[in-house]
Amino acid sequence: MSKILSTRLSRRRLLSAATTATSALAAANLFPRRVFGADHSVIKIGFLAPLTGDVAAWGKPGLDGCRIWGEWINAAGGINIGGQAHKVEFVAYDNEYDPAKARAGATKLIREDGVKFIMMLGGDTWPGVQPVADNTGMLFSTLLPSDLSPDTATLVAPAEVHPIYNVTGVDWLARNRPELKSYVICAQDDALGIPSVATYLAAFEAAGIERLGDPLLFDPATTDFAPVVTRMLASKPDIVCLDTAYTDYVHPICEQLYLQRFEGQIISCTADFYDKIIERTSREFVEGLVFQFPDFDDPALETQGVNFRNPNRFFEEYAKRYPGEWGAVSWEYASIMDLWMAAAEKAGSAEPDAVLAAMKEGGKGLHAFGEADWWGTELFGIDNALVGNWPVVVIENGKAVIKEFGNIPEWWVKHGDLLVQHMEAYGQMHYQRG
Amino acid sequence: MTELLLQTVVNATYAASYLALVAVGLVLIFGVMGIINFAHGEFYMLGAYCVVAVYADLALPFLLSVAVGLVFVSLVGMAAERALFRPMRENPLGGLVVSIGLLLILQSLATLGFGVRMEHIPPPSQTVVQLAEGVGIPLQRLVVILAAVALLGALWLFLRRTRWGWALRASAQDPEAAALQGISMAVASRIAFAIGAALAGVAGALTAPLVRTYPYMGHSVIVAAFIVIIVGGIGSLEGAVLAAIAYAFAHTFVTTFVDGVIADIVGLLLMLAVLIVKPTGLFGSRDRA
Repeated sequence: MSKILSTRLSRRRLLSAATTATSALAAANLFPRRVFGADHSVIKIGFLAPLTGDVAAWGKPGLDGCRIWGEWINAAGGINIGGQAHKVEFVAYDNEYDPAKARAGATKLIREDGVKFIMMLGGDTWPGVQPVADNTGMLFSTLLPSDLSPDTATLVAPAEVHPIYNVTGVDWLARNRPELKSYVICAQDDALGIPSVATYLAAFEAAGIERLGDPLLFDPATTDFAPVVTRMLASKPDIVCLDTAYTDYVHPICEQLYLQRFEGQIISCTADFYDKIIERTSREFVEGLVFQFPDFDDPALETQGVNFRNPNRFFEEYAKRYPGEWGAVSWEYASIMDLWMAAAEKAGSAEPDAVLAAMKEGGKGLHAFGEADWWGTELFGIDNALVGNWPVVVIENGKAVIKEFGNIPEWWVKHGDLLVQHMEAYGQMHYQRG
Repeated sequence: MTELLLQTVVNATYAASYLALVAVGLVLIFGVMGIINFAHGEFYMLGAYCVVAVYADLALPFLLSVAVGLVFVSLVGMAAERALFRPMRENPLGGLVVSIGLLLILQSLATLGFGVRMEHIPPPSQTVVQLAEGVGIPLQRLVVILAAVALLGALWLFLRRTRWGWALRASAQDPEAAALQGISMAVASRIAFAIGAALAGVAGALTAPLVRTYPYMGHSVIVAAFIVIIVGGIGSLEGAVLAAIAYAFAHTFVTTFVDGVIADIVGLLLMLAVLIVKPTGLFGSRDRA
């Protein structure tokens, strides 16, 4: 040992190293606790969604949004839990929209990464994860409340009440375009498409708009949409409803509608990258398209009652970092984090059970688009969906514009029985799902 | 109703065209090399990405990008034959595994190069040719049909009227006898792979603006192509063309008049029925590769 010291360390180096180490230790004692807690200064949040594959458009943009959210929160001092500041860090796992991979991802995020909360897209992947949630008590979120059931006590749907908010678009259309009397609908045959079909059927029935033929379901592997569009247009509808079709379907279907000379109204749950739809069709063709997901540079989002943090600045930052990537979910996972953070700070704990209890306290919560109710027993068998207002968006002059914030609970009070009836017909009620 | 029927015939004709191109390429490779090439759908995908790179990104003419797709995918096919499949010529199971490996490599390369999202390809043409009142076909689809007819016709002539065409057919029917006649199996395999891959590539390139172009787009095409070659008889080019027409018409008509999901089931039932009634396929025979 002495030989090593004598040969490799000079006295000056030894003193220098000792001074540096002492300074570092002193600094560690003085500063970090004021900024971020020393032992548990980082709270890890799991992001378990499709980052590749067909459904990546509803996962990856959300992770990008969360990263901006995380940077802003950390720069502002982090999350204050029990008087101690914590940094937030997102740990992502690509489930490729595959239940088995989602299950492996949930296990890894909980056991190896020690996350305190896991955000998911849900849908087909939730059944793979549910046993993990049951065994660990981990708090999960989904964008699809159709995943909720009385057995999913630790699953919440705090951002997107898909597909229920679709009723607001139909309701707006019926009030503002009363000359439209008939519609057809197509959807991919999967966990996103089917409950959305049931919702649209209920919404159109409530609005008194006639359905021409049964909903046309297509295989998610479909690449050629000409036959689907030919069939829909054969009955000469006033409205074509694209349900909750993925971006990869909305674009070619719109192109086919354009090529097959459709001149009526289009309504869709999403219209991500609508500028590309315009490129493939025409500005005039896309004018008036109704959907449900605004661009966050919309001035209507800077009004009182909207709880999302700096929506316009968020959109600007997002567009700067990820040009051309803004989509339906870019803001949603970040808005869930707003809710989670408020609950964790209120609870003084990041533990799942404490956060869940704080989140649902009083039966109300601050949803991105206004105060909302924890609701869902009638439809999902559990009040774990945060339901309130939802925007109706229309393309005007090539740009998405919020026309109004529709109130979902009000629609439910009037027409809830219709929704239950159609959900039952498609086997989507919580007591019908396997 | 007449309009709907005619429009459905038009839609089915388009579907049959690109499917026939893909299936015939697959049959040709199997016929000469005895290898079921699972990566054939990825040749189709590569052709589509040539259009993304040359037409959408570099803004060069669409037809030039299709030509690039044809040549590039043909070269990829030749390289794959030389480096991967030729060593597996006597080992069909090994060839199958190699093709799955190639499939994953090509998908990964496309993902690395272009990302996982669907590519946005501006339409080369928005012209619709009106065939009758209420019945039309976009020019882009008409081009696919005409190109398929021209390419399959040229292939037929090549196989029937040229020395190398005879050599390919001889190699497919009896490789040993062909070799004894002085036909180089290495050259025959290379030509088969070049043509087979080129047909898939040109199908992908021509249809790229009409379909979802993404790294996994080969999957649905290869499933349909396998159904087609099983129905037509593995190894039969004529069978592949006729089965592609039958499959495309059945699928399109069921999608239009019943349901898209039922249409997939009907396609599989068609294959099942043929396997029960005639296990070698409609045009297949035991001694014909």
